[in-house]
Order: sequence, then C-alpha cells, then structure tokens
Amino acid sequence: MSTIDNIPVRHETPVAETGSKRSNPLAHVFDELVNFCRSRSLFMLHYCTGCGAIELPPAMTSRFDMERLGIQPMVSPRQADILLITGYVSIKTLKRVILTYEQMPAPKYVIGICSCTVNGGMYWQSYATAKMLKQYMPVDIYIAGCMPRPEAVISGLRTLMDDIESGRADSWKKYFQNYDYYLGNQQQLFGEHWQTPTDIIAEAHHYELITEQTLGEHTALLEKHQKPLDALEMRLTGKEKQKT
Amino acid sequence: MRPENYQAKSQPPSNEYELNFGPNHPGIEGNYAFKVKLNGDEVLEAHADAGYLHRGFEKLMEGRLWIQNIALVPRICVPDPVPMEVCYSLAIEEIGGLQAPERAQWIRVMQLEMSRLAAHLFAFGGHAATTGMYTPMFWGVADRDLVLDRFEELTGGRVYSIYNIPGGVRRDIPDGFLERLSNLLDYLQSRLPDYDNLFFTNQVFVKRARDVGKMTQEQALKWGVTGPNLRATGLAFDVRRDDPYLVYDRIEFDIPTEPGGDALSRNLVRRAELKQSIHILRQVIDRLPSIKGPIRCPIPNPLAWNVPAGEAYTRVESSKGELAYYVVSTGGDKPYRVHVRGPSSMHAVQVLENLAVGSRLEDIAQIMFSLDACPPEVDR
Amino acid sequence: MSKELNIWLDNLLEDIESVQFNRKSSRRVRVDVASEALPALLELLQGHASYVHLSAITCVDWIDDDEFELVYHVWSYETRSLVSAHTRIPRDPGVYLSIYDLYQPAAFFERDIHEMFGVYFEGSPDMGRFILTEWDGPPPMRKEFDSESFVNQTFTWEQYHPQWLKDIEEEGGGITTRPEDVR
Repeated sequence: MSTIDNIPVRHETPVAETGSKRSNPLAHVFDELVNFCRSRSLFMLHYCTGCGAIELPPAMTSRFDMERLGIQPMVSPRQADILLITGYVSIKTLKRVILTYEQMPAPKYVIGICSCTVNGGMYWQSYATAKMLKQYMPVDIYIAGCMPRPEAVISGLRTLMDDIESGRADSWKKYFQNYDYYLGNQQQLFGEHWQTPTDIIAEAHHYELITEQTLGEHTALLEKHQKPLDALEMRLTGKEKQKT
Repeated sequence: MRPENYQAKSQPPSNEYELNFGPNHPGIEGNYAFKVKLNGDEVLEAHADAGYLHRGFEKLMEGRLWIQNIALVPRICVPDPVPMEVCYSLAIEEIGGLQAPERAQWIRVMQLEMSRLAAHLFAFGGHAATTGMYTPMFWGVADRDLVLDRFEELTGGRVYSIYNIPGGVRRDIPDGFLERLSNLLDYLQSRLPDYDNLFFTNQVFVKRARDVGKMTQEQALKWGVTGPNLRATGLAFDVRRDDPYLVYDRIEFDIPTEPGGDALSRNLVRRAELKQSIHILRQVIDRLPSIKGPIRCPIPNPLAWNVPAGEAYTRVESSKGELAYYVVSTGGDKPYRVHVRGPSSMHAVQVLENLAVGSRLEDIAQIMFSLDACPPEVDR
Repeated sequence: MSKELNIWLDNLLEDIESVQFNRKSSRRVRVDVASEALPALLELLQGHASYVHLSAITCVDWIDDDEFELVYHVWSYETRSLVSAHTRIPRDPGVYLSIYDLYQPAAFFERDIHEMFGVYFEGSPDMGRFILTEWDGPPPMRKEFDSESFVNQTFTWEQYHPQWLKDIEEEGGGITTRPEDVR
C-alpha cells in the first residue's frame, strides 16, 4: 500500500492574485492567517452523486480518518465549504448539484472525485450523465480513479488544503467572473427556462467580481423569463393536488 | 435567495404539509428522493422519486462487447458488486454452453460470500446510523474494510473487482490467501459478541426498531419481496437453496428466518446470515486446496466472440435479495438485450411507499435502511 | 413433490392451444403465447399452480420484425421452477394490458417499460414518469435511439493536450491510434 506522500498529484497552474485594495503591508498577514485557519477546518457537504460514495465512509471513519485533517461532514449546504462530487453526475442530479453549489456561501471549493467528472469516465456513451463537470461549475481539484482509494481522496484533500493556504484555490470567484459561460452550458443542457433561486449577479456585485464575462447573451435570456420560484408542488396521487 | 426577492404566501392553517426528502439527505442511502405528505409527524402518503443515479446501463451494455460489459456490470449495485458479475457470467455461460471448471465455481462462491459479509456489515452500520447510534457504523465500516483488503489481495480492486469472466475467474488465488481469510473470519466471529452488546441486543436499539415497518408474510409475497426481508417474515426462501447455482448444492448452510417482519427482525436475519456466510466460507476454505484444476474454461478471443443466439434468465442471491439477469443474444459480438432485475426495484419503491404510510417521520430512514434498499439498482 | 407438479404443469401447458411450450431444464420453462391469451395463462399459473412470485417483466425490441417482445418471468415457491412467458405485440400502437391486478410488482416493471420503450399498459395504476422525469427525448431503450450520437450532439469533450504530450510530439512521437478510428 502506498503512503500518503508518494501518490503523485497534479497542481493547477497558480492563478495570479487579484489586486488587493488595501495597501497596508500587514493586511496580507491577516489574510494568510485566515487562509491558514480556513484550510484546517473545512466542512464538506457530502453530496454522494454516484458510485464513489461508497469510498467516502472509509475515508471519513477511523481507518483513513479525515477528521484529523479538520474535515467533517456537514448536512446543510449553507454551512459547508467543500462540495464533494463523488462520481458521475446524472443530468437530473446536476440540476440539484448546481442549486446546492449556489446555496453555499463563498469561499467554497468543489472537488471532483472519480474519472467521470473529468471527461465522462466509464459512462461516456450514456445519454443521462454529464460529461465534463467543469463546464457547469468551476472545479478546484480532480481526484481521478474508478474509484480512488481513500488514501487518494485524503491526498487530494491535502492538496486542496495547501491550495487554500497559499491562496490559489479561488475558483469560486471564477463562477461570478464567468457566469455567462456557465449559465450558457447549463441552459444548453436544461433548456432555456433554467433558473435558480439564487441571484448570482447580485452576489457578484456584492463581492465586486463583475467582469465583462459575467453578463452576456445567456444572462439576458435568463432575465427575460426569470420569475420568483413557487414552492415545490407535489402531486402525490391523482386524487389530491396541492392548493397553491 | 435575497430578502427582497422573498414573497410571502398565505397558506390555510393545517397540520398537513409536504416534505421533500431530497436526493442529498443523510437518512437516505444513495441518491433517492421521497415526497412525503405529513400530518404533524405522521406520514400520510409517500411517493418515491428515482432517477438521480440513472446511467442507462441497459443501453450502454448493448453497445459494448460481451467482455467489456464485465467492467460495467459491478457498478449497478455499489455496496455489493460481486453478484452482478457472477450473474452476468452465468447467463453468458448458459447461452454459450460453457461450463466453468469446479475450482472456478468454488472461488466464485468464496467471492460471493465475502461480498455478502461486506454488504451486511455496511447495512448494519447504515441502519444503526439512522437510529442515531454512530458507533456501529464506524465498526461496520472498519470491519468491512478488512474484507475489502482481502478483495484487494485477491482481485486487485477494493470495491469493483472485475474478476469473473464467462467461463471462470481471471486469476488463481494467491499463496497464503486462504490462511489470511481464515484469520479474518476468526476475527469477525470474535467481534460478534461486541456487536451484540452494542447493537443487536442493546435495548436502546431494540425498542427503537421493534414494530417499525412491519410486514406480514402475505404482504411480503404480494409485494414481491425477496431476500432477507422475506426471510424476516418467516418464509425460508433463498435462491441458493431453491434455485441452486454454482456449487451451493454441495455446501451445507441454514436459512435463518425470523417471525417478526419488522426492522428488528430484518436486522437479526442479517446478523444470522453473517454467521452463515462465515460458516460457508470455512467450508470453502477447507475444500478449496483439494480441488485442483483450471480456473477458466477456454473461451474464444474475447474481442471477437460471437456468442450463439439464445436467451437465459439467471438468478443469484445477492445480499439484498433476488438478483436476476435476462440476457438475449442474437449471435453477435454484443448483447442484444440485457435486463437487470435488481432486488431493490421492489423494496425501494413499492414496499417503502406502503410501509412508510402510518409511520413516523423519523422512521422513514430506518425503514429504508432496514429494507437495504439500494437506489443504484432501482435506477440502473 | 416438485417433480410431480412439474409433470402436471407440463401436461397442462401442452394441452392448452395457442401455447408453445418448451422445458429448458428442470427449473426453467419457456412458454410462447399469443398476446391475447397471456393474461389468462398467468392467471391460471397463479391460481392453480402456485406461481405467485413475479420475478420480472422484460421488453425486447425486435426492430427488424417490427414487434416488441414482452417476457413475463414467474416463479413458484412450491414447484421451484420458473416459467418465462413470451409474447409479442406489434410495435406500432405499443399498447398492452396490465397484469397489476394479478401481480402487484408488475406496476414497477410496466412503468419502467413505458418510460424506456414507450409501451403503454392499460390498467396499470401509475404510468407517470419515474426515472426519466426530466427527459424529453424519445424512449431511450428503443433500437432506433443511438446513445452515442446523442451524446456527441449534446455534450462536448475535454480537449486533452497536456504539456507532456506536446513535448513528445515535438520529438516526433504522439498518439498513434485514436478510439474513433478503431470503432
């Protein structure tokens, strides 16, 4: 069995830092401290989208303990940092995953586990799975395998922790900066009337991450038909329908 | 949602409301959704919503060679992948007129029982976790990992082994493997009293699980329930005994049943099956060194293999119930039709919807885990 | 006991007309029935011969014959044998009767066949979508639906040209066989 430090992992090329508004030279010390603490207490939202979910309990429990790294499973997306996409994402699940991703507060990180998130994987011919996850939401780390061992998962998480500590893991900003591209891919897959309850453009304004790629033809299409979403209507049987 | 976008709606006051147990929920095994209509805490109606794990397996299998499907097939049932491979291989052997040699059949029995051990340990853990007891989950997952270590030694893969091919198994067992497996069985048997104290005879769990999701035998037969769930209502039906395949007719084992039909009985049946699997594995370990021979019967070049036309319906007892494959071949190098009948097709849909009615909200997760419903099998 | 019941069953099935009967092994029987007679045969099997367990309903798409073949696999706990009843229905209307009142598990399989093949079962309690709830294409398991061409139209693939491959190509090497050429 290989140990943690000799499993080769690949790093994304480092992204240039966006210019900081503060000119105080000690401000970056506080940022580094925040990044250090953030990288050591990550809550992961374990959205077990596919096969890879079976190797998450071994990674979380005592044998390959993930909790010693500070990573703990969390049930609600509103309180989670990492979205773990363990395995292939079917189209029906992809809608829910995007809703979940948008519900998470920034900064948030996405890890794509298993080869199916990379380029389709074993189900590349399937009409019901999404092929490249990074077309629909920005992904920080991929952990390839089918399925990856728990040691590989932990190694990927360590890489993510290093990236967070050094400030390289800011793909959540890419979602706001390139929202038009992501929305275009989502609309192409789900139809033109795709919308989510989260107002991404307002959030982009809030985080001051608007670029010229944020708005485009797809966001214009979204604006045309965007309406407040109704509560979930459930048709349980033909006999009783909900009154809303 | 931003506060300025929220629009309040006026609802008539009532105790009834509808809840979406969405795909991402700690109380649901895998990605599966329920829409339940509740009156306070009590469930009035439940409606299953599947499709979150759909990959179109049956369509994928029609586009790949016979041998390539062996890599696809274990992924249909994630916690218990070996019966899928074995059932598919048996179907092709039946169509193609192949006969796996005896040593291969004993090795297949060994894998199936090891996979049953792993799946049951996982199921205990899951069931305990829904009642709020997380220690059995940790124990179950840790012990399952030891079984997966044996799988890794035997086949190279922890979860998806891809070790069976039509005609036999790929490789022979390593040296000393049977000894290590025997040590593992000793260890698991020594752990059972601890499990009993913590979980099976623990009054906290017993009171929580008794009379939850109660099924009578007539209901079980009417709803098409198979496997440990049916044995928990008192009917001793096991595909290994009644429709024997491989060498099960030469192995002696009991079929445990329980009369209760509730979640506690299902759990106790799985515990008894764990002991029976250990018993079967010990018999295999005793017999296997004396059975010598090839581990594979000769098959033509797998990349250009035209299986003769025909059809076969093979059944295997997986840890969840009766697993069946219907394979149709028209003499080509790809299957014409493969239909997978997973045991959870009945359990996760009809049975769960019927049993959830009248139970409480917190028991839905427990019923689902006690039925050992596996959503990837429903969706394929 | 099961052998006598098997013999009785064989005699019974041979006597009925419009039923072609073939015992494949001691536990497998294949029966070919006309589509009008199938529900009656299943009722007979369930009532008189204790075939109470419906194991599966399979649909096979014979596009060359322009027919769907429906196979009903029923199992008896007493005789311990499985009867697979095959019947063919024309592909064009693709409508058949449901056997939900005989066997309750049929509801799942009929719903599944309706989604995947488009065959409508009259009398089935719920023909609504179950797995493919957000799918608006043709029924995917039909033979005319090509999954790979659908995928190539709808999705794009990763352009995989990493640095190490570029280095190899500079030296004159590269990928020799692409999967598309071999298929």
